[in-house]
Amino acid sequence: MSVKIPPGLQLEKVDERIMTLNIGPQHPGSGHMRLIVQVDGDYIVACDPDPGYVHRGEEKMAEYRNYILNIPHLERPVIHDSCNILYPYVLGVEELVGIEVPERAKYVRAIASELNRLSYTLYWLAIYGIFLGHSTMFMWPAGDRELAIDLLDKLTGARVTHSYFVPGGVRNDLPANFEDVCIRQLNYLEKRLKAYADIFYDNPILISRTKDTGVLSREDAIRLGTTGSVLRASGVDFDVRTKEPYDAYEELDVHTNVLKNGDSYDRSKIPWLDMLESCNIIKQALEKMPKSGSVRVKLKPNPKGGDDEVYKRVESGRGSLGVYIVSRSKPEPYRLKLSVGSFRNLICLPYLLKGEKLGNMPAVYWSLNYWPVEADR
Amino acid sequence: MSVIAPKFRLAYLLKGVLNDVFWIIVLLTLIGIPIIMIVLFYIELPVLEGELLTPFLAFTMLFHPELAMPLIDSFMNTDFFRMAVFPGFGFAVLIATGTIFAERKLLAKMQLRVGPFYCGKIEGILQLMGDGLKLISKEIIIPAKADKPIFWAAPVLFIGTAAAFVALIPVAPGWVVADVDVGLLAVFAVVGFFPIITILSAWSANSKFPFIGGIRALYQMVSFEIPLILSLLGVVILSGTLNLSEIVESQASFPWIIFLPVGAIVFFISMLAELERIPFDLPEAESEIVAGWLTEFSGMMYGLVQLGSYLKLYAFAGLFVVLFLGGWTGPLLIPSTPPEILSGIEVGPIAIDLPGSEKFVERTLNAELINGVIWFVLKTVGVIFFILIPRGVFPRVRIDLLLQIGWYKLIGLAFVNIFIALGVLYSGILEPGVIF
Amino acid sequence: MSSEESKTKPVTQTQTAPAKKEPELPKFEKDLSDKIVTKFGADTEISFVKPNRVRINVKKEKIIDVATFIRDELHFDHAESVTGVDFPNEKEIEVVYHLGSYTDPQLNKQILSLATRVPREDTPNPGKDSTKLQSLREIFYSVEFHERECFEMLGVYFEGHPDNRRLLLPEDWADIPPMRKDFRIKGR
Repeated sequence: MSVKIPPGLQLEKVDERIMTLNIGPQHPGSGHMRLIVQVDGDYIVACDPDPGYVHRGEEKMAEYRNYILNIPHLERPVIHDSCNILYPYVLGVEELVGIEVPERAKYVRAIASELNRLSYTLYWLAIYGIFLGHSTMFMWPAGDRELAIDLLDKLTGARVTHSYFVPGGVRNDLPANFEDVCIRQLNYLEKRLKAYADIFYDNPILISRTKDTGVLSREDAIRLGTTGSVLRASGVDFDVRTKEPYDAYEELDVHTNVLKNGDSYDRSKIPWLDMLESCNIIKQALEKMPKSGSVRVKLKPNPKGGDDEVYKRVESGRGSLGVYIVSRSKPEPYRLKLSVGSFRNLICLPYLLKGEKLGNMPAVYWSLNYWPVEADR
Repeated sequence: MSVIAPKFRLAYLLKGVLNDVFWIIVLLTLIGIPIIMIVLFYIELPVLEGELLTPFLAFTMLFHPELAMPLIDSFMNTDFFRMAVFPGFGFAVLIATGTIFAERKLLAKMQLRVGPFYCGKIEGILQLMGDGLKLISKEIIIPAKADKPIFWAAPVLFIGTAAAFVALIPVAPGWVVADVDVGLLAVFAVVGFFPIITILSAWSANSKFPFIGGIRALYQMVSFEIPLILSLLGVVILSGTLNLSEIVESQASFPWIIFLPVGAIVFFISMLAELERIPFDLPEAESEIVAGWLTEFSGMMYGLVQLGSYLKLYAFAGLFVVLFLGGWTGPLLIPSTPPEILSGIEVGPIAIDLPGSEKFVERTLNAELINGVIWFVLKTVGVIFFILIPRGVFPRVRIDLLLQIGWYKLIGLAFVNIFIALGVLYSGILEPGVIF
Repeated sequence: MSSEESKTKPVTQTQTAPAKKEPELPKFEKDLSDKIVTKFGADTEISFVKPNRVRINVKKEKIIDVATFIRDELHFDHAESVTGVDFPNEKEIEVVYHLGSYTDPQLNKQILSLATRVPREDTPNPGKDSTKLQSLREIFYSVEFHERECFEMLGVYFEGHPDNRRLLLPEDWADIPPMRKDFRIKGR
């Protein structure tokens, strides 16, 4: 029968042996994207990721807004890691316009960035637990995340999409008594994080399900251009906070966690170790920050850069997030490109899933620290 | 939502009361009495003072209260009562609903949250009633290309088989719905029917995800039936009979778990796999295959399947208790009522006299029954508690690891268990057929 | 633009001076950029040399040779992102590859921007008009999905890419590639 088929649509070839499964957007195990998986019995023969279900045209819309209006706009790809996605943007704008940020603001930025990393990684860990069928590992991080969100709420006024970083500093200073509350909550959070080892990371069923599955060797990790926890689980010691330090990270002491095997177990363990590290960094920043000073430099109205371009990157929860701004003497950027960690890690998915069992699909897929909304922008 | 009370008028009150009284009388007369007559025709009626208690005579109960007790007595001894109320369907459904509620609360406490809380005044007791009403009221959607007769029949078959399984479990001495001499074999036959139902419902749904789920369920259930059966051979060897009631009676002094701990563990793990409980809930693995073979069920079909699952849970736990933990045996908790109280008490101004209660208590509601039921329920609840806990602790196992556990490790352990049983027997610690 | 001008560029514009740069840092980047220019001569030119950022403009015919040289001699091993910038006034589309290095510790901070320009047509026909570029996928495997996105967003066809297909846009998108400046968002 002749049916008019839109040009981009693909038809499924009916095969005797290979079955095509749509692990589609309406699936409890897929997130906001579709994986077209071809299965031969229990083994995956090919996998074709189909992102784009949450594509909003962030970069196009950014060309219509000036540098200040872009701040709430650019947070939307990752709402709970919003400070980290704004961080390279405000660093870039500051370089284009020529602003120097006060010292105290740099430390406050570091605190907010690490709190966001906690909030995002706990959410990711909760979903990882439920993908493997472990409902307790879904409830515990989701509940403990309230601590980090509560701190962010006190600091910025919002639970997610904080709109906290502005070119010139941060929007407001730390509230009174923030330091004590923060340290108390972080101590409790560290205890809870260490409890995850008993229920999850030392769980024999988890270890048998994720060890030696989806192994990404060191050379492949470098060649595929992966970033973040995927890279560090394969043995490459690269963290933007230590290799190209920005703002307060030049004075803070960050320890990078590196594991060697490159399988799903290591990839699921690195964000947890990074979370313990984040608690440390926040405590350090609270100690080292200058006790007084302004946190914001007032901007001239309608800031604009010259005929210039800038590329800045920052370590977010998913990996190094780069922002490329091209400006042509106008209040709006001429071109704004977000190079997000999730999109860079997407290439691993068809590469790793070929030849895996279907039962390993959720374990491998979510261990790549992939946030579909961010990859689609 | 508060309604402002309308102004009180005596006429409206009288009208409301008379309306209620009218409807009560009409319903009782037109519906209640015929039902009671029909029921009374089918039960075995007692002989009182040389005269058979006919249904018509039973209605004179209002004026002759001494007829009430023998009637209840004979009703409780009929097959219908055993099937529908105790120890059959009604009792099992009660324990099953209690299990569902306890599971949700237990799981919630383990996960640092509250569980059902708002439905019902105390800690969400009525949550299950709310869920049941919701499932009844939902639309049943059948996929267009599904095989309709089989698809409709599958949940009914499922709950029928689960009910058949429940029928074989003895709760108290003499109280079992189906007292067969080869009770244990009947249990295996019924358990072997479940994979067929699963694959039928998965295949008839004509969709990819139920297909994968059904195949996985088939693999899982079939491969764990073998360790299930092998682990019970030890008990059969030691007790010498296949009749479940006799197996319980053979544990009058000590439960079999003392001699066969390995078998008990193998049976417990195989039980978890047959029930599709976490960590073996692959057929319903949410994150990979949506809901497995249950994907296309909606509304009351899903409710029936869930109820069947929990009936199966109760039946398996009951089987574990019967085989390994000693069934209804246990020290006497509630002594039997002395006959002086039964034939009438006069304490000061209070005189209680329930005629016929002496025979009733002696024949039906005796101390043996009450104690047996209490111990059985306590032990079953304990076993169910241990079945519910892994749900909060373990993630899901993958299919190939599951099959390795079933085919290699558990069968090996089951054979070790048989050797232990034979060793216990031949070394003279126990004699074969230790029953009477 | 020669490299001397780049050092004076920050002073002539109206901005406060950025963080003090030590005189050695641009030398390292200048070193990198000089190596490329000496090898390929007239086909390349240095766009700017800033601390940790170097930009090279390359003619589109030579891009594979330059990229191979950068990978083998200069040890840049992956591409961080591929950006397409639309210049309708100059009738060209610029494709910028940002390259980074994980293996070489001296290059960990550096990002090398490799830029080419392709001609742009007013009515685009993606895949079949003159907006074509050689794909760098054989050299840097990591550009696979980035180039697909560039193709669908700007209409730049990458020859040699195994799979020039839509990635983010819906299957029934029938308009011009959206990141072009001709495509106006409704209501703005």
